[in-house]
Order: sequence, then structure tokens, then C-alpha cells
Amino acid sequence: MHEFSITSQVVQSVLAEAEKQKAKRVLEVHMVVGKLSFLGLEQVRFSYKVLVKGTIMERSKLFIEEKEGQVKCPNCGYEGEISHEDDPSYHNLAIPPITLRCPKCGGTVEIVGGRECLIKSVKIVV
Amino acid sequence: MKEVVVAGEGEIFDVELSLDLLKANEKIADENKALLRKNGVRAIDVMGSIGTGKTSLIEKLVSELKGKYRIAAFKGDLTTTIDAEIIERHGIQTVAINTGKECHLDANLIKKALKKLNLNSLDLLFIENVGNLICPAEFPLGSEKRVVVISVTEGPYMVKKHPFIFMGADVVVVNKVDLAQAMGFDVSNLEEDAKKINPNSKVVRTNCRSGEGIGDVIKALGL
Repeated sequence: MHEFSITSQVVQSVLAEAEKQKAKRVLEVHMVVGKLSFLGLEQVRFSYKVLVKGTIMERSKLFIEEKEGQVKCPNCGYEGEISHEDDPSYHNLAIPPITLRCPKCGGTVEIVGGRECLIKSVKIVV
Repeated sequence: MKEVVVAGEGEIFDVELSLDLLKANEKIADENKALLRKNGVRAIDVMGSIGTGKTSLIEKLVSELKGKYRIAAFKGDLTTTIDAEIIERHGIQTVAINTGKECHLDANLIKKALKKLNLNSLDLLFIENVGNLICPAEFPLGSEKRVVVISVTEGPYMVKKHPFIFMGADVVVVNKVDLAQAMGFDVSNLEEDAKKINPNSKVVRTNCRSGEGIGDVIKALGL
């Protein structure tokens, strides 16, 4: 949710950095988005195209690296990707049926990764 | 410095940013949490769709607990102070937070509202979020516990359809159980769905109008 407002922040932040670097054009923007960050990437890409028009970011390429949800179990120490329930309600859908149940001991895991939404780097022409 | 290398005109180079966009709200939420802890105030988020019984739940909790704790409440809504006034009638300080067009409370609004309270004369703070089962999940406010209120009138699939908010739910209140029969489905399914997502969630059935189950909610919250 709020993809437009997050993408707007992305564009503002990149433009601010580009100005700091006295860039003529921005060629690429590299983002890292965790799968537990509630962001719809299709909407982010669409918003990006709209928001960069008329700026030095126009025609720049947006690369989004997706990260899986990472969990850790305080009970048994299991560390790994977040598990999914096998539930027919969720087949072929964008959001898989996540569960915080530990696949090893059945306890409840904590989320330790997969929530990030960051701009990793940008490629500019000065 | 003898020689400085600078980028020549037309040169392309990479700039590492590592700029985290969600950090801003999280940072303020952490500050809110620290401030509440410092003053010994336990803050509890109450979230849920429109009309599930969030205000009714808080009313009943305030009624039961005001003899034991010094309580205040925040009530978030796009507009009006209707619900805030309802809670205020129970004799506790209630701050109405109008979000305007924003569909959820955020940590910054809570930070502003906290300034209206005399924190060292309080033990407990209820924060009722805007009626919305989706967006509040993304915005931590700095509370100690998160309660999600659903109603049987929302049907049997509410939990399955909104996994993200239930991931972060310490307590799930299934309200309006007096209407379960009229809805014609087994309420235990909702409980199972919640536990599948977060095995640590405590699920309590209530009828916030009659007060049924409120004692269990209080126990589940450790109050």
C-alpha cells in the first residue's frame, strides 16, 4: 500500500542526491524491497514512470531486488526464510500464505529480515 | 591533499546510498516507545476495520480498569471527534487525532499527541487507530502491544484475507459473537486462521456490548 507516496520519496531522494553530485542525468536506480514490506512492485514501477517525467530521472531504469522474509526462532534457534502454509485459498496469488510458525519446533518465529525498502545505489552522469 | 580525483564531465559513476525509506516512521515510533517506557506508561494499539467494535472494546476496558490504572486514550479518525467523545465520557483524558485524508495513524501524529499528556501521571494508554485492516500494519506507533478487533459480521475469511495485520497481532478480539449464529459459520475457523499466521496471538471472543469476554481480553493483555 502507499506505493505512490513511497515512490515519490524515492524520486525526491534520488533527485536530491543527484543535485548534490551535480549530475546531468540519472541512468539507473537500484532498490532493495523485502517481500514483507507490503509494497506492490507493479504499482511502484508504474508510479516511478509517472513521477520521473520532466526530471533528469526521465528514461532512467529502475531495478528492484526482492528479498525474502527472514525469520529466527527464539525457541530452537532455527534461522531461514519465512514459511508458507499450504492452503488452497492462496494458490496462484500475489501474497503467499505466510506463517510465523517455526518449521522446526512449531514455536513462533521473529521476523529478522524482508521488511526493508531502500535505495541501494544510483548510476548518474555528471 | 596533493591530488584529488574528481569525476570528469560525462563520466558515469555509481553512488551508494543505502537510504532506508521506512526508517523515518520507525525511528519516531522507537522514540515514542522509549518515552512511554521512561514514564512507565503501557501503550496498547487497537486496530480493526470500520465498525468492528474498537471503541466499544476500549470503553469496556476503561470501565473495568480505571479503578486499577490511570488511563488515557488516543482516538484516530479521518475527521470528527465522535468516538473520542464517547470514550471521554468514561472520565479519562482522550485526545482525538484527525488524520485528514491519511488512512492510518503514524508515529509522528502519536509523537504530537503524546505532548498533550502528562505522562508521569499515567499508567495505561489505549491508541485506537483509524478503521482500516490494511494500512496500520505498516506503521508502528511505539506501543507495547497490538490488538486487532474483527467482528463475526465481517464473515469467515477476514483473517485469511489480511495476513499482514495478523502477523503483528498480540491479541485478536473476535467481537459480536452474539451474532455468530445469524452469520452461519463456525467462529473457531477465524481463531485457527489467526493462529496459523501467528501462533503467539491470543484469540478472545467477545460481545463488547454486553461485556462478555472482556475479562479474557484483560488477561490476554496482561493487565
